[in-house]
Amino acid sequence: MDPVDVVIVGSGASGAAAAWSLSRDSYLKIVCLEQGGVSDASKYPAHYPNWELSRNGEASSKPSERNNPADYPIDDRNSPISIANFNGFGGSTILYSGHFPRFHPSDFKVRSLDGVGDDWPFDYEDVELFFNENEQMMGIAGLVGDPAYPEYKKLLPPVPMGPMGEKIGAAFNALGWHWWPSYSAINTRSHGDRGPCINLGPCNTGCAQGAKGSVDVTYWPVALRQGVEVRTNCAAYKIAMDNENNAKGVHYFDEKGVRQFQEASVVILACSGIGTPRLLLNSKSSAFPDGLLNEHGNVGRNLMVHPLGYTEAVFDEDLKSSIGPHGCCILSQQFYETKADREFQRGYTMQVLRGAPPMETAVSGYMMRRIPLGPDHHKSFSKYFNKSIGIAVIAEDLPDPENRVELDPENCDAHGSPGAKVTYTLGDNTKKILSHGTSKSKEVLEQAGGQVTSSFAPVRDTGWHLMGTARMGHDPKTSVVNAFGQGHGVRNLFVVDSSIFVTSGAVNPVATAQALTLKICDNLRNNLSELMRST
Amino acid sequence: MIGLFLDTILPADPELNMPSGASIGIEAFVRDAATQTSIDEYFILLDQLAQEKFERPFKDLSAENRLQIVELSKRKNNRLANTIILHCLKAYYTNETILKNLPAGAVPPFPTGNILEEDDWSLLEPVYERGRIYRSVSS
Repeated sequence: MDPVDVVIVGSGASGAAAAWSLSRDSYLKIVCLEQGGVSDASKYPAHYPNWELSRNGEASSKPSERNNPADYPIDDRNSPISIANFNGFGGSTILYSGHFPRFHPSDFKVRSLDGVGDDWPFDYEDVELFFNENEQMMGIAGLVGDPAYPEYKKLLPPVPMGPMGEKIGAAFNALGWHWWPSYSAINTRSHGDRGPCINLGPCNTGCAQGAKGSVDVTYWPVALRQGVEVRTNCAAYKIAMDNENNAKGVHYFDEKGVRQFQEASVVILACSGIGTPRLLLNSKSSAFPDGLLNEHGNVGRNLMVHPLGYTEAVFDEDLKSSIGPHGCCILSQQFYETKADREFQRGYTMQVLRGAPPMETAVSGYMMRRIPLGPDHHKSFSKYFNKSIGIAVIAEDLPDPENRVELDPENCDAHGSPGAKVTYTLGDNTKKILSHGTSKSKEVLEQAGGQVTSSFAPVRDTGWHLMGTARMGHDPKTSVVNAFGQGHGVRNLFVVDSSIFVTSGAVNPVATAQALTLKICDNLRNNLSELMRST
Repeated sequence: MIGLFLDTILPADPELNMPSGASIGIEAFVRDAATQTSIDEYFILLDQLAQEKFERPFKDLSAENRLQIVELSKRKNNRLANTIILHCLKAYYTNETILKNLPAGAVPPFPTGNILEEDDWSLLEPVYERGRIYRSVSS
């Protein structure tokens, strides 16, 4: 392989943003290695009436259910929350719901404000420009004027909340609590080269019409036009180093399973909060016997996953609740910020979810003994379908070094590279947040006139938000990369995904992860020629 | 036998315009999804239980008695019974005819979509009026 200027590992949310940002300087030769294949949008499950079946098959969030050779094994038996992801061109954005709120100013200063976690090495204001830029690229719907945030500059019109949103919104009002239309990576009018959403509903199996802002339809078309080369079905397994502690390039298996080496002046990792530490830990050498950037044992530590609580209620009237983007309706941040009269630090977002689609309604209703078999089946089914509202509590997860990702040499991927092993325990503060959040969820659903049918936490199959395992900071003893995403001690190795988060906030992380990527790449572009001269 | 079983657990409901499980052609799906071995095993169990309780094969029982046997089968071998029952529910509720009869909104294929009526965003006035709730961060 001819040497390139930049090699990016991972084509998901952050890898795509990095590819786009760096390729604006067209003289750069950039290659992106993606271990999965390209999804064919014309064959997404939502094109077919039986799309719900795919959620336990090819569109499952669980690697163990997908049966996809691009996946690596993840042993999450030592965690109450299982890891969810998607390996393929576009990464997990292919399956995400598109819920897209930013971090808040306080999220960057939790140690100074609340005495927990750590402060980030910069402020909200330092990222704000990149939030705006990213939202323009991704196409974010919402409503300006939200009192829970500094002013957003520009948004597409909000995703329709429908009768269910109005019902629960009125209940939030009656309690005097904050709520607002969701920030959603969903076109509500034409934006970029994509049309508006027509409320098909199943965003989580891939958007059949391209209205959802997954990066294969936002950043990548532009990055490819700008000359970035993407090599799919190419699994990186080791970062090579030279004798002067510079990254030399990336070893990978190509689509035929043949070992290849891509030499590069700059190496950028964007493989998620599990994939990035896995690759770093697997990059052992005589100079780095415990893995790259792991001199102080920080790689893989401080895993944060946003434990979720879930509460659901059923109503008497038809709320059309299964119609519309499932994860994007309204949110409440009434309990986001720390308050002295609560038993916990930090807080949570209440993400209002639309009702379950038909198959899920029937199956869960049957399993929970709410919907019987036989002559009463249909009448019982009709009491639930389109009449339910769910609330997910997204709890801020504080960093704990004991929560970690390690290599799992006992379980290897298709090429023989070690899988990942996750050890995670819910912290006391998190438990208190979840308890408070589910209690408040019940309160607002009952205020709306609903009958609560289930409420529990944590929800097991929800480990999408993978953060903190290559955290940033000024001190090499307590962090893996510096404030510019640059590896401590390896100046041409950068990490740009949510691994570098210092704390988790209590919102979906993609908006912040991509804004950070753009911030890091902006700095990198300004310093690239010097960096390339010295490596 | 699959047809009779489907009609037992998912009988027609004319009032709600819902057809029976056996009338929409999902037997093949259930057979493929559940494997013939587990289906055979389950139907043998149903017959055994029917003989024990009513001294007749499952197919000769009334709908009400068949349902009793299905419930009994869950107590006898919950895992096997639920495997078959869940495959039937999944097949039924992903069938195009059923989705249209529910109604479940626009049924794929694309590009038919769903329209949600215009929202009343004036509901947000009190939220806005209460003013800012995010915290100040002085650097």
